[in-house]
Amino acid sequence: MELAVINKLFGSNTKNSKAKLVKPENLTDAKINHSYLIKGVETKDKAMKDFMFTLGCFEGEKVTLISVLADNYIINVKDARYSIDMDLAKAILI
Amino acid sequence: MRIALIGNPNSGKTTLFNAITGKIEHVGNWPGVTVAKKEGEAKRNLNKTGQDIRVVDLPGAYSISPFTSEESITSDFVRNENPDVIINIVDASNLNRSLLFTTQLLELGIPLVIALNKSDLLEKKGIAINLDELAKRLGCEVVKTVSTQGEGLTELIAKASGVFGRGQQAPFDGSSIAKGADKAAFEAIERERFAFVDKLVQEVEVRKIASFAQTRQDAADRIIAHKIWGIPIFAAAIYFVFSMSQTYLGPLFADILVGWIDSFYAFTEALMGEGVSPLLGALLLDGIIGGVGAVLGFLPLIMVLFFILALLEDCGYMARVAVVMDRYLKKVGLSGRSIIPMVIGTGCAIPGIMATRTIRDQRQRRTTAMLTPFMPCGAKLPVIALFAGVFFGEAAWVGTSMYFVGIAIIILGALIVQKITKGGPSRSYFIMELPEYRWPSLKRAFLSMMSRAKAFIIKAGTIILVCNAAIHIMQTFNWNFQVVAEGMESTSILGSIASPFALLLVPLGFGVWQLAAAAVTGFIAKENVVGTLAVVYGISNFIDTKELLLVSGATDVAAIMGLTSVAALAYLMFNLFTPPCFAAIGAMNAELESRKWLWAGIGFQFGMGYTVAFLVYQIGTLITTKSFGTGVIPGLLAVAFFAGIIVYLINRNDQLVAVGLEEGV
Repeated sequence: MELAVINKLFGSNTKNSKAKLVKPENLTDAKINHSYLIKGVETKDKAMKDFMFTLGCFEGEKVTLISVLADNYIINVKDARYSIDMDLAKAILI
Repeated sequence: MRIALIGNPNSGKTTLFNAITGKIEHVGNWPGVTVAKKEGEAKRNLNKTGQDIRVVDLPGAYSISPFTSEESITSDFVRNENPDVIINIVDASNLNRSLLFTTQLLELGIPLVIALNKSDLLEKKGIAINLDELAKRLGCEVVKTVSTQGEGLTELIAKASGVFGRGQQAPFDGSSIAKGADKAAFEAIERERFAFVDKLVQEVEVRKIASFAQTRQDAADRIIAHKIWGIPIFAAAIYFVFSMSQTYLGPLFADILVGWIDSFYAFTEALMGEGVSPLLGALLLDGIIGGVGAVLGFLPLIMVLFFILALLEDCGYMARVAVVMDRYLKKVGLSGRSIIPMVIGTGCAIPGIMATRTIRDQRQRRTTAMLTPFMPCGAKLPVIALFAGVFFGEAAWVGTSMYFVGIAIIILGALIVQKITKGGPSRSYFIMELPEYRWPSLKRAFLSMMSRAKAFIIKAGTIILVCNAAIHIMQTFNWNFQVVAEGMESTSILGSIASPFALLLVPLGFGVWQLAAAAVTGFIAKENVVGTLAVVYGISNFIDTKELLLVSGATDVAAIMGLTSVAALAYLMFNLFTPPCFAAIGAMNAELESRKWLWAGIGFQFGMGYTVAFLVYQIGTLITTKSFGTGVIPGLLAVAFFAGIIVYLINRNDQLVAVGLEEGV
């Protein structure tokens, strides 16, 4: 109940709460509270890709979108919460 | 025997290190607090083995392959320095990710013991872990610990020394292929490693609540890191920290302390009686006790600052500030991570500058290291408090607004650096693990406060004492070592050295040698500004009025210094926004790793301090008296010169130089 009120007051995200008709391609298309299988991490930044790999963020693994706060996406990967920016969210294909 | 503490960021390594060694290293609840190696001896009451145990605390890492520069400290250490035993700190609430690193560490052949830390959180989060099975499957000992409470440490030390000298079997061996293999093969092995860990975790861990379920913490994040509310919440937090230390809680204690210092002054004066040479008496009373006392009087303000900062760092808010600020800092070529060094820098610029190591992008890292000193540090707090008290009737806005001016200057500075280095809007990614919120520990905050207070007192009793004595002597004698007559202090050694500097400061509204001398001694330690002012303007006056300053109206000091409020504000800002103390410049040198960046940084800080003071004084004077202050033309020329250099650097089409700066040639 308390959470619902807070969400109402501060839930800023209208984009992701509405079901999208298009098929999701990357994390920015994801719905909150939904889990997805990662199809790949597409970036020219090799080191970042390797780093995401060490966090368990690579194809075949599960990712859950927890919240969207402005440009930041809060995601859950392997029991940990991360905040990533929109650019990185776009790089994670689902 | 040497034991290395290794584990994921924010798993509690430094807290464990402090608990084992009794040291007070900087801890905080966000990933990347520790950016350097720390060593200490295990305490005797925990170490029942009878042999000496050295413990090495290392920066956190997610895997054996480093991502940022502080992570490479860790991987270099385990590869090159052969610790006898590894204690792998594993966050019990995140077994799945942590064990990846564990399996890599197990391959090194160094005996390893797992400290299953934060195990007090297991019950709350509905997680059950089968310790025996975990130990059996990994082939190493597992000890439950709660580093914040000091639980499980004796057992941990005993187990760690028990495996000393043994080898280590790896349950998953990926090392056979790693050498010389191509990347695809390497990745394939690592995937297998993940699969191995996944399977293992399934067998030893039972979770009643899935980790991806929404929690209260997530709800809190939606408020605290909200795109609109996030900024005012951060501003309110900053305001709270500084108004508490400067206006409310700090002065309350400072009153008491200043009373003690006063009595000590009077006591010493009475003790010396008439028999002591007046010169020596003055040196001791006005130079040493007065100067050091003036600085020490502000100790309570600094202690309150450090106490509240420690609470802030402990609760988990810092990572959220990085998230909130990322959007804005990106626009000026920085990253959300840049805000963390700056917040740490409000305590002391040196650890702030070192904290830039967690920023991966070199240009962002250097820009942050160069701009972090603009945040007023704890040592500048006495300067702010003195001026706010003397010239602005203790108005809370003066002190607190200095921090927001600092932030504004940082943003402007970042924009300029971005333009000069042709960085363009930064495209580097932002990722930050969000630690759990928790109630900050009053005990840890208290310990951190006491350790910083101790450092401050030592500094006051050494560097500042020597500086004040030297200033007093230089002010008492002229070059022929004759005592200068009262009212003729400008002919003293100090006066003649400082006068040329004072000339440069005329356009800023404070071109007198006393103020110039104080600004110069500020480079040795910023507290010196207060100490030197106390000495050059006559101490007994200062102590009396300092009491006034902390109680009520303090017009006397203002009259003695002969500054208008506008000039005083300009002087305050000049001291805050010029280059930091030498120690912080040394830290800048170490982190910038480039002479070019260092000198550019120092030059920029000088130019910025001068320009800000000039604008404040001249515009302020224009508003208050309807005409410009003295020296407006030469000052304008100097400021135009600084601006010209920056415009030139921005406009030159020499891409090679820009690339050179990027690469730090």
